[in-house]
Amino acid sequence: MMTLLEVRDVSVSFDGFRAINNLSLSIGEPELRAVIGPNGAGKTTFMDIVTGKTRPDSGQVLWGERQIDLLRLSESQIARAGIGRKFQKPTVFEDQTVRANLSMAVRNKRGPFAVLFWKATPEDHRRIAELAEEIGLTDRLGDRAGDLSHGQKQWLEIGMLLAQDPRLLLVDEPAAGMTPAEREHTTDLLKRAAQTRAVVVIEHDMEFIRRLACRVSVLHEGALLAEGSLDHVTRNQQVIDVYLGR
Amino acid sequence: MTLINRPPVAPTAPILAEGMAKVPPRRGFLRENPSLPWFLGLLTIFTLMVSVLSEGLGVGALSTSMVKIIGMTLCLCLIAIAMDVVWGYCGILSLGHFAFFGLGGYAIGMWQMYARTEIVIRDSMAGGVLPPTPAEVSDAVAAQIFGVVGSLDLPLIWSFAHSLPAQLALVVLVPGLLALVFGWLAFRSRVTGVYLSILTQAMTLALALYLFQNDSGLRGNNGLAGLQNIPGLLDVPQAVLSVWFLWASALALGLGYGLFAWVVSGKFGSVIRAIRDNEARVRFLGYNVEGYKLFVFTLTAIVSGIAGALYYPQAGIINPAELAPIASIYLAVWVAIGGRGRLYGAVIGAASVSLLSSWLTGGGAPNIEIGAFRLMWADWWLVLLGVGFVAVTLFFPKGIGGLFDKLVRKQP
Amino acid sequence: MSIFARLLPLLLALVLAAPLVAQTPLQDVLQANRVEVANPSRASVGQVLAALREADAPGTSEFLRQWQDRMVVEDPATGLFHVSLEVEGRQLALIDLDSGAEIGRVSSRDVIPIRPNAGVRREIGAALVRFELSAPDPSRRLAALEAIARSPDADQIPLLESAIPDESDADIRARKLRLLDLLNARFATDTGQRIAAIKGLSGDVSTEARRVLNQILATEPGLAPTLPTDRNIARVLIAGQHLSPHEAYDRLVAAGLAPARPERNTLRDALLAHVADGAVAGLPLHRLSDPAARIEAYGVLQAQGLVPPLVGEADIAATLAGYVFFDTYLEPDPALTDAARAALDQTATRLTLFQWMAISLDALSLASIFFLAAIGLAITFGVMRVINMAHGEFIMMGAYTGYVVQTVIPDYTVSLIVALPLAFVVAFGAGVAMERLVIRHLYTRPLETLLATFGMSIALQQLAKNIFGTQAKPLTAPDWLAGAISLNDVVSISTIRVAIFVLALIFLAALLIMLKRTRLGLEVRAVTQNPGMAASMGINPDRINMLTFGLGSGIAGVAGVAIGLYAQVTSEMGANYIVQSFMTVVVGGVGNVWGTLAGAGLIGFLQKGIEWFNPSNTLAAQTFMVLFIILFIQFRPRGIIALKGRAAGE
Repeated sequence: MMTLLEVRDVSVSFDGFRAINNLSLSIGEPELRAVIGPNGAGKTTFMDIVTGKTRPDSGQVLWGERQIDLLRLSESQIARAGIGRKFQKPTVFEDQTVRANLSMAVRNKRGPFAVLFWKATPEDHRRIAELAEEIGLTDRLGDRAGDLSHGQKQWLEIGMLLAQDPRLLLVDEPAAGMTPAEREHTTDLLKRAAQTRAVVVIEHDMEFIRRLACRVSVLHEGALLAEGSLDHVTRNQQVIDVYLGR
Repeated sequence: MTLINRPPVAPTAPILAEGMAKVPPRRGFLRENPSLPWFLGLLTIFTLMVSVLSEGLGVGALSTSMVKIIGMTLCLCLIAIAMDVVWGYCGILSLGHFAFFGLGGYAIGMWQMYARTEIVIRDSMAGGVLPPTPAEVSDAVAAQIFGVVGSLDLPLIWSFAHSLPAQLALVVLVPGLLALVFGWLAFRSRVTGVYLSILTQAMTLALALYLFQNDSGLRGNNGLAGLQNIPGLLDVPQAVLSVWFLWASALALGLGYGLFAWVVSGKFGSVIRAIRDNEARVRFLGYNVEGYKLFVFTLTAIVSGIAGALYYPQAGIINPAELAPIASIYLAVWVAIGGRGRLYGAVIGAASVSLLSSWLTGGGAPNIEIGAFRLMWADWWLVLLGVGFVAVTLFFPKGIGGLFDKLVRKQP
Repeated sequence: MSIFARLLPLLLALVLAAPLVAQTPLQDVLQANRVEVANPSRASVGQVLAALREADAPGTSEFLRQWQDRMVVEDPATGLFHVSLEVEGRQLALIDLDSGAEIGRVSSRDVIPIRPNAGVRREIGAALVRFELSAPDPSRRLAALEAIARSPDADQIPLLESAIPDESDADIRARKLRLLDLLNARFATDTGQRIAAIKGLSGDVSTEARRVLNQILATEPGLAPTLPTDRNIARVLIAGQHLSPHEAYDRLVAAGLAPARPERNTLRDALLAHVADGAVAGLPLHRLSDPAARIEAYGVLQAQGLVPPLVGEADIAATLAGYVFFDTYLEPDPALTDAARAALDQTATRLTLFQWMAISLDALSLASIFFLAAIGLAITFGVMRVINMAHGEFIMMGAYTGYVVQTVIPDYTVSLIVALPLAFVVAFGAGVAMERLVIRHLYTRPLETLLATFGMSIALQQLAKNIFGTQAKPLTAPDWLAGAISLNDVVSISTIRVAIFVLALIFLAALLIMLKRTRLGLEVRAVTQNPGMAASMGINPDRINMLTFGLGSGIAGVAGVAIGLYAQVTSEMGANYIVQSFMTVVVGGVGNVWGTLAGAGLIGFLQKGIEWFNPSNTLAAQTFMVLFIILFIQFRPRGIIALKGRAAGE
């Protein structure tokens, strides 16, 4: 397993509040990793930094074989480099069809001119059909995404993430608002995805994480508190203190 | 960077087989744009009807000035669909597109004015003993054009004014480059929403103020005049010329409609509408949002410039007041009333509001007597427009075009 | 012209002067010196003048002026002196010297005109000045001083000198001394005295002092084969460096030392003068549209000696090589010009300082106008994220309120005191109404509020036009605001602008107190920073929005009165300020009073600064300002004072 993403000594503060404090973390490929921590631990800010939404005050974020510094890239360049993100709140383009949503996400050239002259190939159609099948939205490809249920939107967003075919998936609370059956499906899907790529999951639900059966990183006050298997970290006294309070 | 195109998520076999079977039928361009054939058909019929009724080529039921107004309205429709693409589809409320329109008009007007003045000067100099040298001709032309702002020299920006192809190129290049530079600056600093609107308004204001100066090289607030005369076609009566311009305007509108229908359909359309709805999310999908915005902004600016280049020869005069920020806001009003996010909506809005406006303010409508009080349309039209516009924004956010949607949906 | 009109000033002067003094009447003084008055000579006039000064009878200076102007006649019958005024025909009206009343009309043959010669008149003039300079009434002394300042003259030096020791008023004394310096600097015969006077003027930024120094430093252009040593050279000019070769050459042409350069039409006119048989110099006319052919034809004419050779650039350069160009001082003494130069340099430093001060004051006043116009906009934008395009129309509404109040209450001071709060109330009401009727429904669609408020703006503007007409309406400031406060000739600011500045300060203070010290302010700040959180803490955002919008509009109304006082009230006045107000808000940063203040300051100073570089062109200044703002946004997209943190994210 090689290191795909390495976060080194990253700090960021908002108006004096240190959201991330000398955080160092590395993710291998392929790997499934869960990131947990109490509210305000910096989980979402961590994702913001990796995806380029937030610029840290100091530190480095290195990516891939050639150790590219992600901090120098824009959000879209980071996405094209192979990092996909699923937001906590499902964000799909409600005004457009499910097909259009998936079609935008499918790996293709992203430049304006390439997109302007783009014509769907049979391969593209096959891929979209495949993804729709995977996320259970085959019958709704022609419907507006805004007409989907909350769970279906979650699925659509996961589908778009898969369509991007990223090397690293950052998934923020994927199971929120899902039925138990859907959760199981999601767990399967993430585990399968993690066979070939890196997947980082932020989740509060310990049961969900237990089912993922992966390495767990615990964040607290913007820094890494503990790392290891779920059983290992839940036995850590510091982790217990943080979660239960003293 | 090596990005291995890795296999999709290992799927379960039967699902894959089923998925492959369900390749949907290919959706044609026209199927995605049902309004296009309708629009082109109606535009053709309308243009032919106006031609038949015109004074120049037909039975004479429509005066030349009316034909010109119709031709100008078609140009306004063209800039309105450009505005619709940049605002209704891409979410950039530009308050500067009328500036591009004006620049297009200035670019063509420079050639018209130069070439026509040159003809006049050559005629008057032909009577002299010595035939004039090229330098004498151009000096005399410069003095004739710029005497009004107290200058005798041809400004540098008029270097190509003698050449129609060059000025035609400038019709496209000047608005295009301005939009490109301004857009690049604005978009790269992630100025969005109302900030961007105000910034575009500031750009328009700066341009208008610049043109108002006498030493701007474009005759200050005198503007360019006599543009209804086309050098080389001075023998053609205005009545005929007006119909030709009507055709040119209709052609440009038809082509523009087709172009934009193509741009906003398909994946590109998807992406720009996605940018309108959630720009950040589009970035995380790997699209360079700034590039798309810049493309749309520049393309629509170029089309606006072309619309202006067709409009002002019919209007006959252009001056900096035409570029004032208020004009661009009216453009937004037309598009909003017509209905954003649908090209025909922009056409309906621009045509109805601008024609209604010229009808009411031009004294076409009878004034209403209410007892001793006399309602003058010319005075009250703007009040009506303002209040009506507020009402449309409040109650019909989809504009007139939204009503079409309801009608279409009701007929299964 | 009627006699009465001409007499009126005289009558007034007499009526005013008469009760104050009861000395010997003027006529008596004159009668005592009859012969000298009737036949004045340079030798004898001094005696009369001394007697007149001694008596100091009322109307003496008026008499001196009339004597000097040859308006005094002698009645041979009575021997009395009168002033004569020409009436229709050859008739003269005789005016009594002491009472100023007309005493009769006579033919011009019946009186003896008194015609003092030039030398006598000069004496009388000097006496007049001396008389006025020592007049008991300070305002007359000042008027005499101003007369000297207007037309300075070497003769005035001794007069002024003699009038200084007796001067009791300190201000007038200082003024006399300053004027003496000005006169000495230019006219004193002794160089040492002139230099001393010049030194006394150094650092004086008043226009008259600078004018005197500049007069001493006046130059005239000169040229010679070699630099002359007997002239007071101001500077040597090198062609191509200090003046263009063509300018230098034209100086030579003007001095008759070189043939003129060809003008635009020289060549053509020469050819036209030699057209013969459809050809010039053997070249057929139709070929002469080619510039080369024209030069060829000219060459032929020149060879025939018919035209002078054309002066080319090479000729110009060759001619210039033989001359030195320079400016010489009109004043031959280098010691004087050096002293004046030094004094002027000294002044220049202070002048720059004062000019900076003047510009800063201008900029400050512009900034306070922008602040007043923009602060309401900034509040509504900050709290509600609503761009109110109709903000300018609230400004207009305030100004028209002021105008209407003035038509009802004629006293300008009272009407202003009534108008300011009333404008606030009117605009506040209009703002609340607009918020309730329109904006409330559009909170989720910010771009559409921009459009809807623009619709309101069109409607309100046209409505104002329909009600008040397209003519600009005056909003007159009370007298105590009408003048200007001036520190010296350079720094001066109109009182109204100071008042606007004070008003801006009051609003700044009031807003800060309201935002920081009141419950409403707390709630407003909470909604500004995080509307969702504020709502969940029990703050009613609906109420806050309504009040904020009303407040913002109300301030715009007050700003309207202030702006209307120095500009005119038109239906478009708001529109003229709206873009600048937007800029102020955008540049300053949203949701912060200090931000708006900084934005207004930046824009005000910037605009004045650019105008200073190119004062003739305010349009260019505005263009550059807008360009600057576009670039500024590049570097600080959120303005000078930006909200930070997650709340600022979107």
